[in-house]
Amino acid sequence: MTVSTDPGPADQDTAAADGPTPTGARRFGAGWIALALVLGLLLGGAAGFLGARTIGTPGEESAEAGFLRDMSTHHAQAVEMSMIAHANSTNPQIVTLAGDIALTQHGQIATMQAWLRDWKLSLTGTGEPMAWMPGSEGSIRNGLMPGMATPEQLAALRKATGKDLDIQFLTLMRQHHVGGIHMAQEILDMSDNKDVRWIADSMVRGQQGEINLIDSMLKQIQGG
Amino acid sequence: MSTPGPERVPSTVKVDKTSGQGKPPAAKSGAKPGGGSGARPGNRPGGKGPQGKGGGKGRKPVTPVKVSGGRNWGPILVAGVVVLLAAGIIGYGVFASMKGAETWEDKAAGIEGIVNYREQKNPQIDARDHKDGALTYVTNPPVGGAHNAQWQNCMGDVYTEPIANEHAVHSLEHGAVWVTYKQGLGADQVDKLKSKVQGKDFLMLSPVANLDKNISLQAWGYQLKVDNADDKRIDEFIKDLRVNATLEPNAGCSGGNTATGPVTGAGNGTNMDQPGN
Repeated sequence: MTVSTDPGPADQDTAAADGPTPTGARRFGAGWIALALVLGLLLGGAAGFLGARTIGTPGEESAEAGFLRDMSTHHAQAVEMSMIAHANSTNPQIVTLAGDIALTQHGQIATMQAWLRDWKLSLTGTGEPMAWMPGSEGSIRNGLMPGMATPEQLAALRKATGKDLDIQFLTLMRQHHVGGIHMAQEILDMSDNKDVRWIADSMVRGQQGEINLIDSMLKQIQGG
Repeated sequence: MSTPGPERVPSTVKVDKTSGQGKPPAAKSGAKPGGGSGARPGNRPGGKGPQGKGGGKGRKPVTPVKVSGGRNWGPILVAGVVVLLAAGIIGYGVFASMKGAETWEDKAAGIEGIVNYREQKNPQIDARDHKDGALTYVTNPPVGGAHNAQWQNCMGDVYTEPIANEHAVHSLEHGAVWVTYKQGLGADQVDKLKSKVQGKDFLMLSPVANLDKNISLQAWGYQLKVDNADDKRIDEFIKDLRVNATLEPNAGCSGGNTATGPVTGAGNGTNMDQPGN
């Protein structure tokens, strides 16, 4: 704000100094109008900028919005894989873990989309996935974000049974979590939005815990 | 934060106004150019010199009035323009944010060529019953109506053969945008559509045997037909209607039928937990 007021007195002084000449009145007017233009632009710009920053929420192209949209899509695949394992596995530990992941991540999708709705933003984007993340170029393969299973891997998981299904599910979900944690850590580095930080932090902690669980389950199943 | 700014600026403008107004009278009454310039010798003698002389001598009373009048109105004009400009910019910001808050239905209505079947209140399109077996629809491809209990998997799935309308309509109900193309469309065109769909939930792509246009997009109750995969309205349709057009908020796209081909036997509808079929 001081920026907008400082040029004022300075410009007025120069305008006043121009006064002595007979044409002073006219020059005076031109100077005032130029000053008015500058001040008006600065004032309006500052008010708009500060207003958006203080009362506002993340914008349509913000990293936060990009994260919420992409993480919704990323989560949706975890739900898909978990529901397959939940329906087809005969291992009670796998059924429990898969149900836990499906419910948690489906709920988080609803939360993330509710924020986008509250902020009056598009629920989805049509841009390249991960565009909100710096240096993400090349991390997208066939439209898939880091850690996401390919259509072929999903088709194989749907057909799998028994121990084979359990191992495939745990392996795919481990990789999925690693990708998801990477995305969540990235937004934690970029954003100071309280809501987004809260859910991203919960994802990092929750999924890291699940990776540890998955590792121990994989060891047990592959060993047994 | 923003209030100190607007307050400060008018105040500085006022200071100049009063000093400007105060000088001419001082010059007239005292007839001393130096009296007015006491505070700021550098600025005032210059500006007042002509006025003070004219007023003191009484030769040209008209001239000083004109000059002082110009100076009086200048700051007011400035203040006015500042306020108008600031108000204009803020007003535009408010307008822009209001515009950004328009509903997805408003945005959809703005897509050239889109057909809104929800407006038509056609009971056959509005029906949401679950029915087994083959069903008939009033549009091709369908945009709504009774459907199979099992939805088509719409997790960015790319189907290379036609899928059953009965499953696809259920996916529309869940909020998916179903992208279809005329079977036999050029591979480069199909690849462009594939890149828009693959890996994105609430989207699916499939060919349709008897489509009247090259490409047709469906959401529940909405349809847009275009000739070219480069048409920008494709992205608009997807952005504005995907997820938004759902009739069952937070319903999913996974766990659906992943097979292609016509709907199978009458018993298929209740068979929802067979991801492998």
